Amino acid sequence: MPEITKPRLSDGVETDPVTARVHDTRAGLSALIAEAETARQQRAEESPSDGGTAVCAWNHFENIPTFYNWNNRPR
Amino acid sequence: MTMAVAWSGMRGISAEPGYVVMQPTTLCNLACEYCYLPFRRENRKMTVAVAEAVAAGVAGFARTGRFSVVWHGGEPLATGRAHLAALFAPFGAGVEHHIQTNATLIDDEWCAFFTEHDVRVSVSVDGPRERNGDRVDWAGRPAYDLIARGIGRLRSHDIPFSTLCVVGDPRPGVATELYDYFLGLGCEVLGINVEETEGVNTRLNRHDPAAVSAFWAELVTAWRREPTIHLREVEWTLRYAAAVLDGNADALLPRRLDPIPTIAHDGSVVLLSPELAGFHDPRYGDFTSGNVLTKPLPEILAGASGTPWIQEFLRGIEACRNTCPYFGFCGGAHAANRYFEHGRFDGTTTNHCRNSKIRLLEGVLDHARDHEATAV
Repeated sequence: MPEITKPRLSDGVETDPVTARVHDTRAGLSALIAEAETARQQRAEESPSDGGTAVCAWNHFENIPTFYNWNNRPR
Repeated sequence: MTMAVAWSGMRGISAEPGYVVMQPTTLCNLACEYCYLPFRRENRKMTVAVAEAVAAGVAGFARTGRFSVVWHGGEPLATGRAHLAALFAPFGAGVEHHIQTNATLIDDEWCAFFTEHDVRVSVSVDGPRERNGDRVDWAGRPAYDLIARGIGRLRSHDIPFSTLCVVGDPRPGVATELYDYFLGLGCEVLGINVEETEGVNTRLNRHDPAAVSAFWAELVTAWRREPTIHLREVEWTLRYAAAVLDGNADALLPRRLDPIPTIAHDGSVVLLSPELAGFHDPRYGDFTSGNVLTKPLPEILAGASGTPWIQEFLRGIEACRNTCPYFGFCGGAHAANRYFEHGRFDGTTTNHCRNSKIRLLEGVLDHARDHEATAV
């Protein structure tokens, strides 16, 4: 059951290869991001004031300290 | 390689934390094989005087925004209800209490405690029974039945809970099984922690990069079929990807690092990485930045960058910023992983970076690349 058909790294580019790869993957990501937003709405994680953006929805959970921290994810 | 884009976040340490981590006791009733905690067989309890000092120190932070107290451990429920209530008491009503627990001690009385104190509960469980082989008590007996019983009590009292799952072998075939298990468990939130080499856990955490990417990609596939759980790693990654596509990714990282003060049972304060508490190094000493019994917490935080290991760590953050293309997603390698993997704080990429940041992002991108056809 190979999940990945073409393994590839964001390496070998002069500068900022990660940003470049995200842009290269726009079509697939956009579908995934839209589905994630719908899922958040169904989980009632978004309020109307969130404006429906991924960043605002994420912030709802960002403050769960047992789950999110940029510089030391809890374990 | 020098980055063309200099990410502007994560410069220096904030003097205002978003939360404190409290160690109400060093004791844990379990002896999990991968645990990093050094004194978990001893019952060194936090005194109420320590809790009072912390509560006084954080009162200002709680007034200006959402502020949380995370009761970690040891196993926080091993403290006992009466003593834990005494440690809660000094904190005002504006403070959120969170508990990270192995669930084995949860009974109806603990559920009443959680409800009374409005505690946010997070359970450590590694998936179905056969994936909890590392979770044993001090006699070596499997802990899974006790964990499952405790979760059952939470469910019977309709107490919502989050879960943290340690994965020792991230590879294809594992992710679907795990996600399906957590769907059945009824948790609201799931975080996946690939096992780390840190503290007293010296097991290697080096894995085949392709296998780890495939693990994360498969997890996205499993989640996408039924995305009812808030899956930490997927949310985190999609948030970054969406910001990159929207052209505002640089605004994503916090401007400064959260100091994440961990207050040990004796009042000593370790910043940035709870995993360093209780350790000693000939070069860095005991990693503490002070003690709340002798100095107010805000003062300790204001002087954080004076702690020698933290100065070295901040140089390490700058090294990550200047050399790693994943910095905008990651914010810099974590302090404990640098120390326990490299022996110092100014190195850059760790195996934890590879397993839990780099391969995660690449795995999500691999999934998105291979599933364009499902676009709606």
